[in-house]
This record gives sequence, structure tokens and C-alpha cells, in this order.
Amino acid sequence: MKLTIDGKPLEVEPGTNVLEAAARLGIEIPHYCYHPDISADGNCRICLVQVGDATRKLPIACMLPCAEGMVVHTASPAVVKARKGVMEFLLINHPLDCTICDQAGECPLQDYSYRFGPGDSRFVEDKGKKQKHVPFSDKVLFDGERCILCTRCVRFFTELRDAKPIGVVNMGGKSTISLGPNGPIDDPYQMNIIDACPVGALTSRDFRFKQRVWFMDFAETVCPGCARGCNMTAGAYQNQLLRFTPRRNPEVNKSWMCDDGRLSYKRYNLESRTRGAVVRGQPESLERALDAVKALVGDGSRTAVLAATTLTCEELFAVKTWAAGAGVKTLWHGAASWKGDEFLKLADATPNTAGAKELGFLLAPLLPGSTTPRPAGLSVLVVAGEVAVPAALLDGLDALVIQAPAGGALAEGASVLLPGRTPLETKGTWVNATGHRQAVRPALDPGAGVPESWTLWRDLAGQRWPTLQHLQAAMAAAGSAPARKRTPSVAEQALAQPALAGNNLP
Amino acid sequence: MIRETKLLSARFGQPQSWALEGFRKDGGYETWLKVLKDKRPPAELVAEVKASGLKGRGGAGFSTGTKWSFIPKGTTKPVYLCVNGDESEPGTFKDRQILELDPHQLLEGVGLTCYAIGAHTAYLYLRCEFALGLRRLQAALDEAYKAGLFGKNIQGSGFDLEVHTHIGAGAYICGEETSLLNSIEGVRPYPRNKPPFPAVEGLFGCPTIINNVETIANIPHILKRGAAWHAALGNKEDPGSRLWCVSGHVKRRGVWEIETGFRLAELIDSPDFCGGMRPGRKLKAVIPGGSSSRVLLPDEVAVATMDAPGMKQVNSSLGSAGIIVLDDSTDMVDAVLNLMRFYAHESCGQCTPCREGTPWVVKVLERIMSGHGRAEDLDLLLDLADNMEGRTVCALADGACWPLVSIVQKFRAEFLAKIRAPARAAAPAGAGA
Repeated sequence: MKLTIDGKPLEVEPGTNVLEAAARLGIEIPHYCYHPDISADGNCRICLVQVGDATRKLPIACMLPCAEGMVVHTASPAVVKARKGVMEFLLINHPLDCTICDQAGECPLQDYSYRFGPGDSRFVEDKGKKQKHVPFSDKVLFDGERCILCTRCVRFFTELRDAKPIGVVNMGGKSTISLGPNGPIDDPYQMNIIDACPVGALTSRDFRFKQRVWFMDFAETVCPGCARGCNMTAGAYQNQLLRFTPRRNPEVNKSWMCDDGRLSYKRYNLESRTRGAVVRGQPESLERALDAVKALVGDGSRTAVLAATTLTCEELFAVKTWAAGAGVKTLWHGAASWKGDEFLKLADATPNTAGAKELGFLLAPLLPGSTTPRPAGLSVLVVAGEVAVPAALLDGLDALVIQAPAGGALAEGASVLLPGRTPLETKGTWVNATGHRQAVRPALDPGAGVPESWTLWRDLAGQRWPTLQHLQAAMAAAGSAPARKRTPSVAEQALAQPALAGNNLP
Repeated sequence: MIRETKLLSARFGQPQSWALEGFRKDGGYETWLKVLKDKRPPAELVAEVKASGLKGRGGAGFSTGTKWSFIPKGTTKPVYLCVNGDESEPGTFKDRQILELDPHQLLEGVGLTCYAIGAHTAYLYLRCEFALGLRRLQAALDEAYKAGLFGKNIQGSGFDLEVHTHIGAGAYICGEETSLLNSIEGVRPYPRNKPPFPAVEGLFGCPTIINNVETIANIPHILKRGAAWHAALGNKEDPGSRLWCVSGHVKRRGVWEIETGFRLAELIDSPDFCGGMRPGRKLKAVIPGGSSSRVLLPDEVAVATMDAPGMKQVNSSLGSAGIIVLDDSTDMVDAVLNLMRFYAHESCGQCTPCREGTPWVVKVLERIMSGHGRAEDLDLLLDLADNMEGRTVCALADGACWPLVSIVQKFRAEFLAKIRAPARAAAPAGAGA
């Protein structure tokens, strides 16, 4: 059906609402209670638009189905005034405590105030008092005075988690969100309500007061926690990760991620790590360490490679290229698992198993579910990345080469220890369980003595790829395409969820 | 000449008027049984009611037959009838009369309406304060079931109808038709955004007709005597006989049944009805249709006729026919504050303009009342109303804005007098400026 929005003609399929239709034209209609991954509720009234000449009744764009011949105005005088009115109403009882609010800097209440608000308030009365800093759980804190009652949090649970741990209580101006009778929220996805909340009413007890978001650095990357590969934004300050937040990808994780993945950032702030190389317990230059590896591997016939499935396709491709040149025919990948669930979490707790399989790596012997036989006469094991090595696989080895951010317990017995990078320090490609090739980007700089992992394998292999792009070209020629940055459509950009800092990097 | 009509209220004075026996003796349920026996095509009944010109008695005044015709043709979902007996509009107490004094009249209407719209389940929603009304309605329902007037295969007609009573918990918002549906469904009674309208997607997601108690009580009479008879009652554009509730500063207050089209001034002055103002008092204002309608000044009252076109002429509405008469002893600032406190208290809190706007209006009015008003407060009040009306999920905020705006505009001098010569009480905390 055809309609016009702000004078621009547009054709949409029946059932499309005006908010989404406008987004396709790149017209942003402000919204609080509307969320692209929760059903519309229509309570905030900021997305009012004018249809035709009717200026008294302004319908809400988020729940207004497009109709044939409809003429919509999103910035008419009536709409502009009504929006100002709604902004003023939203703020009269809001504490305006941006200076101490974690949401400041990524708050649509702030953003829309600047863009659509009246700029001042005519409210001279006392503000309403509501409950503040209410623990909803050990992860989430609620501030009733900041809340604008959009009920995204309530609807997240009822619609996506089939649960009602929180709800609205009281009436009228005294309405507030409250815990239900069963006590604190214990849902493993509960922290999503913090991002879903368009204001500072729900804050993360983990991130609270750690840093102002405008001082932080953000990387659009992918959660390393499991084979789902939830898109996320890693936020860091002075090279220390402070939080992971989900980044919308309608095909993979919508707007969500699990709390375990979200809080796993702590694991990547390494306290100690391998810098430079170590050969038989002694620090050594990288060049000589690589020479030592070559000597140990020899003709490759008695060597096996065990690569972690946290490595990128690019790293795995470099490993494989070296192995092929060095006569190493046994390429294994490791595995790690946790308890998956029905929502996002998959049992495979590594992000790139599909990528490793695609490059011809087989599940290492002795791991659960493995049918790979252990070859006879194995004497050298090259471990790339952080991976749990079955103890029996180490039996009878002459030499162990480890390339990893931190060697761990295995490092003690390693012949050669090479530095490695964590997924949060790496650029490349992961292939998730549903076959999406996703771009991984570094959030941290590991500092001196930790070169990009792929360069070590390149040097071992005697390849000349000067940059990762060159490696990717070789990889693509071999049939394994690197990820491209996913560019959200115009519509998705206009529908961006609350301006999480880092979600809209230039 | 204004006179009472005894149609809906015909049996109100009789002893045990709420019992089945007397009702049947007076011809009750005959229409219901005849429709079942003749197996009249439901579309015929809808057309009849449409032609009768009957308009909803709950407040919005929408054509009843037209509403019924919105049920999607050939729907495969069950159709429901909900009867709105959550009568909470300030100044309105007419449905209560029907529930307490002639509940069978309502039940016959329920049967006929369900038959017409193809519903096999009806919910009668009553506010919990109607204890007597509920007792009598429930007793009447039990009697009717016992007499085989409801239930499965009624009188061998093949038509099934189950009727349930449902009790609210005393919230004004539950009288909003979609809140009422949510209340029946057992969820928080927030009004729903429309579209979809209940006739398409209502109770439990199925096509639903919601009608006021008085509206339904009219149905047996219309189907008994025909559309033409009803269309000839009172004003021809807004025909029928209505129960008018008069409260306020008149000598006699109460409920009278009168055909539409009479003069409001006559009702107030006639010795057979209100009997004029209290001694020594003069008329100051009338709120003609329950508190959610625009106030009328004496010169408007003098010309106003009580029907939809007449009210339109004076830019107000008949609403729920709750006529509130105010005399010259009334402090209009205090009166509007009283009303606004009601709306702020009853705002459900779902959507922003009403949740935040109605308490703000109360705070401004309280400040003016306490002697701390500012000249700019009047324009502020009007602008707040402009930011609420037509911007909300339901009509509660509209209902608050109409009396507010009309009182501020028509009694501006009274507000200004209070602001300029304040009877100053202690400043409310936080009253800055």
C-alpha cells in the first residue's frame, strides 16, 4: 500500500506501522516505550504524529498501521508542540540528576530533551517522591523517580522470558515498577532490562559509577562466550574492559545477550600474561623462538596442532597455512561447553567452532563426542590459543608448543611459549552456529611483546602477507570468506534502541 | 411542557419490582421468547436497533446499532457481549436504578443483544460498590436460569447463552470499555490503544460489544414496539427516553425519566422536577453530562435542549446524563479543584500526559486556592489541557480537560480575583516562583 510521510511517497506491505515506515525513509520518530524487539505498548506518547489535517487527535506512530493513501506529518506544528508537551510531562517529576546518573551520555531522555523538548519547565511545584535505589537483584538496581513507566522491562520478561518478576503497582502519578512477591529477579537474562530501559531507572550494579560513558572507548564486536555470537559493544576505559552490552542484530541476537556473556568481560582484563617468547623456561626473542618451533616440528610427521575455537578464521587460516608448509597433517580444534538454554545460550561455549570445521580442523581426540583417533607416534603438540588439552593427549610427548595470552598450568611443561591475544584484542572473523560470518574487533591493546597472533604463524610459514587484508584475500581465494562489517539498514538506524554509547560509532 | 416518561422506569415503584414473577406478569421476557421462537434473523434485529436511532447511554453517545454492525461478518471466533455497569462518572446514578429496581429488564436486553450480535457469552460488569444492585441482579439471573431463559438450547431454540456477573474493585478507569475488558481478563485494567476496536478484537482477542446498562435496557422496548416508535420519541436526531440524574444545589435532586429534547432550564425550574434553586440562591453553572462535560453558564442553560444537537449548540455534551447544578455560593476554583482531584486520583497512570498532567493541574489549582497563584497560571492550565486532550490512550484526560478548560475560560475573573487578592494560607512546600 502507498502512503506519504512528510511529503515523501512510500510503499509498504500491509501491517507495517508508521514508525517503522518512516524509519525506512530515514525519518526518525522519537520513541521510548516502542522497542523493535518487544511488542508495541503505546504508553509514552512521544511518537505522536498527525494524519491528514486532524490536529486534535494525534495517533501514535508505533501502533498506527499504515493505510492506503494515508498522509502523515511527523514534524507539523501540532506534532512539535505535542512532543514538547510530552517531554515536559516526562521531566516534571524526573529528578534531573544526570550529573550522578549512569545513563547520562547514552540517555534518550537527554537526547530527546535537546532535540524535541521545550528546553525549560513551567513546573514550580514539588516533584513526586518515589522509591530509589531499590535492588531488583544482585545485578540490577531500580530508581523509581527516574522511571518514565514505559514498561519495556516488564514486557521484556512477560514476552521474552515468560516470567513476571516485576510489574507496575499503584495508580496514576504514584505508579511505579515493583518486584513481585517472589523476591529478587533470578533470570539469567535479566540484565537486558538495563539496556532496554531508555532512562537511568535500571542500572547495572556491576557497572554503576565505574565510568562516564563519554570517557570510554567502544568496540563493536562479538561475544566470545558461546557459538551464538551475540553482537555486542565492548566498552573500555584506559585499556580496561568495564562492560559488554548487546548490539542489535535482528538475525542473531536481536537486542539481547545473556548475563554470563555480559559479565564475562572480567575474564579479558588479564592480570598476568605472556609477553615475548619463552623457550625452555628462558625469555627469548620471537625470531629465535620461532626457529625453535621449526626445529621441534621437523618434517611435521610426528606433530599435531590443537587450535582453540576462540581463534578467528584468519588465525586458523594462518595456522593451517603454516601446518601445510611444515608437513603437519593433523589439525585439531578444541572445545568447551556449558549449559545452553532455549533463548540464546548454546552449549558450545566457544565462538568459532563452525569456522574451525570449515577450515578442516577436526575435533581433538579424547574430547567428549570426538571420534577422531589419536595417531600413533605423536611426539610434538602445538597448541594455538587458550584451550583445555585432555591430559591423556599430553602423555608421551617430547615437546609442547603453546601460543596463548597466558600459558596457564600447561605453560610449565612447555618447550616453547609464544605470546597470544585474547578475542578482545583481535581483529578477524568468527562463524557462529547459524553460519553468520561476523566481524570481531579489538577493544583492548595488549601492549608490547604481544603481536597480532596471525603474524607469528605467517612468519613461521614464511608468508609475506603485510596486512590482515592480504591474509583475508588469500583466505577468500581458498574458499573461506572473511566477515564484512554488518551495515544496519537505514530503517534499523532510525529505529536504533536507546542510544547506548558505542552503538552508533561513526 | 416537560413531563416524565415511564418506559425504563415503568416498574420502578412496584413492590418487588426486581423479581421475575412481577416482571413476567408485566409482559417481561415475551420479546425474548418470541425472538427465539420465531428464529428471527439476527441481522434484522441489528437493523431494527440501528433504525431506532438509539445512542449509547454510557457517555460517548455512539449509535448502538452501528456499533453492533462492526462485528466482522462471518467471524470464526466467539463473540462476546460485555455490559458496562461500572457507573462511576461523578453525578451519575442511573444504571444503579435499573440494576436495583428492574434487573430483569436489563437481562432481557442482554438476551436480545447477544442473539442479535451472535454472542453466546455475556459478562455483566458491575462496580463493587453496587452491593444491592449486584445482589438483585444475581438473584434475577439465577431466577432467569431456573426459568430456562438462559443456558443451553434455550426453550428448544438451539440458541445457547451463558451470562456471568463480574465485579470490579472500584476504579473509575474500569468503566473505560477496554479497561473493562482487561479487568475481566484479570490483567491490570489499563485502557487499550485503538485500533483495533473491541468489535474486532476485544475480550480475549475476540469480537466484543460493550454497551452501557441503560443502553441494553432499551433493547427489549425497541424490539417490542419497533424502530419507528423509538425514533419518534423526543428529539428526532437523538431519540429516546433517558434517565436523567440531577444533583447539586436544587431543591429536589434525583433521577427522572424524560424523553430527549426538553429544555434544561425547565427541568431545573419545574415544580414537578427540581423545583428551582435553593431559596435565595441563583444559578451559577451546570455541568450537563456527568463531570466529563463542558460547563454551561446560566444564559447557555436558558437555551440548551437536552439532546445531542442541542448540547452541540452550546459546545457541551449529554455524556452520561448526570446533571450537576451549581449555585452562586459555589467557589468555581474549588469546584474544579475537586473535579481535578478526582481525575488525578483515577488516572490509571499508563500514559504520560494523563499520568503527569492531571496531578500537575491539581498542584497548580491547590496553589491558587492557597493564595499563591500567579497570573500566568491560567494560561498554564489551558496549555496543559491542550497538551493532554487528544494525546492519550483513552478519554479520561479528555474528560478532565473539558470541565477544566471551560471553567477556566468561563470563570477567568473568579480565578484572577483569587490570584490578585489572595486569601493567603501557608505556602505549600516547594511553591517556588
